Amino acid sequence: MILNLLLTIMLFFNVQTDTLTQAYSDKWDGTAQDEGAFVDFMTSNDMIFVVLGVSLIIWFVLLFFITRTEKKLAIIEASLKNLK
Amino acid sequence: MTLVLIVGFLIDIPFIPILEETARNLFLHVPMWMTMSVMFLMGVIFSIRYLAGNDLDMDRKASAATMIGVLFGICGLITGSLWSRFTWGTWWTFAEPKINLSTLAMLIYVGYFILRSTFDDEIKRARIAAVFNIFAATTIPFLLYIIPRQLPSLHPGADGNPAFSEITAPELRIIFYPAVIGFIGLAFWLYDITLRSSRVEHAIKLRNLEL
Repeated sequence: MILNLLLTIMLFFNVQTDTLTQAYSDKWDGTAQDEGAFVDFMTSNDMIFVVLGVSLIIWFVLLFFITRTEKKLAIIEASLKNLK
Repeated sequence: MTLVLIVGFLIDIPFIPILEETARNLFLHVPMWMTMSVMFLMGVIFSIRYLAGNDLDMDRKASAATMIGVLFGICGLITGSLWSRFTWGTWWTFAEPKINLSTLAMLIYVGYFILRSTFDDEIKRARIAAVFNIFAATTIPFLLYIIPRQLPSLHPGADGNPAFSEITAPELRIIFYPAVIGFIGLAFWLYDITLRSSRVEHAIKLRNLEL
């Protein structure tokens, strides 16, 4: 009787780790997770938007570099005008 | 070269739908690294030629090629991060050797430009930058190829994963190879622009000194 009570108390304190006999939570059903609109959008249409994102990244990095070169050229032009 | 570029991009347009759509990233993410390697290889050849001949134009060529290499390397890193978010489930993982070692390689090359910016004397800068570039280039095959192959990784060609030649469908190759050539052509064009602007900059500096 006392042993039983003790076991119950121990089980009560250990209830969070005792996942062998009981389910820890009901939320494990399936893997459906709501991760927000961005992830939903990116994974729609067989993840084609990931490819779009990758090409946009390349485009913007190269665009950044070209604008930087253009600014450099503008400085060179300005110094040429000073010489003349 | 322009023709190669145009053809490379035109062929990119008729995409072939294959399994998952992200397989198309093969035409974008993988050529980034190949282009980067070609540019770094060019850079180190110019660095060696600078040390052999003390021609300052070689130093400008090495700097331009390395800069374009870093540009494409950064493209490869960011695109890889986005791709891995939706196929591996994380933006970044420290369990993946290729991600971290390629970042390390990028940082070494960023160091090249920081080193260059610390010198005002052109000849001293050129010589030390050339030596550093040779060191940086020797780390690349180890960081990007040899070490990742020895470690478990999600990238193809690593421990337990088949390499490119075993898993890539022939339809993808039709577009993949022109894409590689196209991106390398684009990189050459950017390299040429960078080189020419730095040459003009140098010429103006010389003229300013004469006046």
